Amino acid sequence: MKKKASTHPLAKRQKRDPGRKGFVFLCVLPAVLFLAIFLYYPIEETFRLSFVKSTGLSNEQYVGVDNYKKLFRDEEFLAGLRHVFSWAFWSIIIQLPLSFFIAFSLTYYSNKLTKPLQAIFYLPNVLPSAITAMLGKFMFAPNYGLLVELGKALGWDWLASVDFLGDPNLAFWSIFAIATWAYSGFYVIYLMSRIEQIPKDLREAAELDGASMWCYARKIVLPELNYPLRICAILCTVGSLKLFDLPNMMTTGGPGNTTVTLGITLYRHGFINWNYGKAAAIGVVIFVLSLIFTILQFSLGKKEDEIL
Amino acid sequence: MKAKLFFLYLPGKRAPCSRHRTANLAVRRKTGIHYGSSEIIITFILIVMALLVVLPLVIPLLFAFKTQLEFAYHPWALPQTLRWNNFVEAWKAIRIDKGLLNTLIVCLGAILCTIPASVSAGYVFARYRSQATEILFYAVLVGYFVPVQMILVPLYRMEVSLKINDTLYGLFMPIAACSIPFWTLIYRSFFRNIPREMAESASIDGAGHWRTFFSIMLPLARPATTLAVIQVFMGAWNDYLLSLILLSDQNKFTMQLRIASFLNSYGTDRMPRYAAAVIISAIPTLILYLIGHRWIIRGMLSGAIKE
Repeated sequence: MKKKASTHPLAKRQKRDPGRKGFVFLCVLPAVLFLAIFLYYPIEETFRLSFVKSTGLSNEQYVGVDNYKKLFRDEEFLAGLRHVFSWAFWSIIIQLPLSFFIAFSLTYYSNKLTKPLQAIFYLPNVLPSAITAMLGKFMFAPNYGLLVELGKALGWDWLASVDFLGDPNLAFWSIFAIATWAYSGFYVIYLMSRIEQIPKDLREAAELDGASMWCYARKIVLPELNYPLRICAILCTVGSLKLFDLPNMMTTGGPGNTTVTLGITLYRHGFINWNYGKAAAIGVVIFVLSLIFTILQFSLGKKEDEIL
Repeated sequence: MKAKLFFLYLPGKRAPCSRHRTANLAVRRKTGIHYGSSEIIITFILIVMALLVVLPLVIPLLFAFKTQLEFAYHPWALPQTLRWNNFVEAWKAIRIDKGLLNTLIVCLGAILCTIPASVSAGYVFARYRSQATEILFYAVLVGYFVPVQMILVPLYRMEVSLKINDTLYGLFMPIAACSIPFWTLIYRSFFRNIPREMAESASIDGAGHWRTFFSIMLPLARPATTLAVIQVFMGAWNDYLLSLILLSDQNKFTMQLRIASFLNSYGTDRMPRYAAAVIISAIPTLILYLIGHRWIIRGMLSGAIKE
C-alpha cells in the first residue's frame, strides 16, 4: 500500500523462482473467485438494474435515471431516509454518552465487579436480532407486555394503556430503546479497551495534581478518546443506514411509514412488489452513503492499524 | 517513586479543578483506602444498569410457568407449580432444534469458506507483492466497502438462475464472500508484522512456498485465525437479512428465521407461551456466551470494527 520500492528485489527473485507464480495464483484464486461470483457480479448487476425497469416477469427496458427520480418522490423512501438520519443522530446523542459513562466508570473504579459487569453489558450485543426483536415485543406488547403489566401492577393507568409499537409517535422510540439496549454494549467494550490504553502515568499525575474523577474524565480521557469516539459516531451512522432486522421484525415498518428504514424500503420494493429496478436504485443509494461514511472513517485514521 | 513523593509534598499550586484528593493511586491500593462514597454511588448505578440489561432475559422465567389465567390474575407472583406445557407448546411452535442445526451448518460453512480463502490471499498480499497482487488487493478492498443490502436483488436473481437459492450452501457462500475482504485485510496486516527473516530462513533451509506457508505461516497466524473463527461464526449465527431472502423452504430455515416466523404467526396474547418461547430461543446463544464470553469480547476488540 505504501512502499513501491519493495517490489524491486522481489521482481528479481521472480525470475529465478518458477513455482512462485503458481503459488501466488492458487492462493489468491479462492478469494477472488468467491468475490467475483458473490460480490462483484451482483454489484455490477445492481448498477445495471438501477437504470432499468424490471419486474422479473416482463422484459427489462432501459429507463435512465427514472428509478432515482421516482425514488425521491416516493413517500416511503423519503421517510426511510429521514429515519436513517434521525436514528443516527439520536444514537450519537444517547447511546454514545451512555456507553462512555459506563465504560469510563467501569475502568475508573476497576474492582472485582468490573469483568462480570463488562460481560453483562456486552451480552445483549451477541443475541441474534430475532431474539432482540422478540424481547422487544415482550416488553412493548399492547396487552400483556412487560411495561403494560408493570403499569397495571403499580396502578399507573397512563402506562398500562400505552400501545408502544402501534402508536405512530412511539413506535420509532420503542425500537430505538430496544436498539440502545442491544447495541450500546459494543461501544462500552470498545471504549473501555481504548480507555485502558491511556498510560497509567497520566492518571497518576492527574490525581497527584488533585484532579477529581470528573476533571480526569473531561480533561484527559475525552481528548484521548477523540478518535475512537469519532469512529463510534461513524459506526452509528453506518449502522443506521443498514438498519433492517429490528424494525422489520417488530413493526415491519409500520404503523404507516413511521418505522421504515432504507433496508425495509429496499426489501418491500425488491421482494414484495418485485420492482427490481427501484430496489437496485435504493441499494445504490445505501452504497453511496455508506461509502461516504466509510471513507470518512478511513481518513480519520492516523495509522492503518487503528482502523483495523 | 521518589520523584512522585517529592511532588506529592510540594506545597502551594493546585490544579485548576482540584479536589482534596492527593494520595497516589498505588499507595491507595496498598493501604486499602478507597474512593469512598462516589465509588459506592457509581457502582450502585452500574449495578442497576446491569440489572436493567439482564432483567428482560430473566422476567420471562416468572411468566413462563403459569397458565394464562394465573398470569392474568397474578402476573408478578412466583409460579406456584412448575408447569412445563407452555414450554412444550412453544417448542412445538418454533422447533428451534431444526433451526439450530441449519444455523450450525451455515456457521461452519461460512467459516470453512472464509478462512482458507482469506488466509492465503492475505499472505500473498503481504509477502508476494507485485503489480498484479497490488491490483487484486485493491479489488478486494473494494469489497470491504460494500453493504450487503446493495447486492440483495442481483444475488437473489443469480441464485435463482443457478438454482442454489433455498439451499444452505447458497446461503453461507454469500455470507463468506461478504466477510472475506475484511479478513483478508486483517491477515494481510498480520503477516506484514511477522519478520521477513522467518520466511527467508525457511527458504534457505529448503522449504518451498507451500511448505513455508503451511508449516510456518499458518501456525504463526493462529491468534488471528481464532479471532476469525469466532467472528465469522457470530456473523453467520446472527445473519437474518440474507437468510430471509435466500431461504423459503421451512425445513431449511435457520434459527433466526424460525424465531421470526414464530413472531409473525403467534402473537403475544398468550403471554406465558410467548415467554417460554423467549427462553427457548435465547438459551442456545446464552450458553455459547457463558462458555465463550472472554474470547468473544477479546475477539470483538481486536477483530474490531465491522458492524
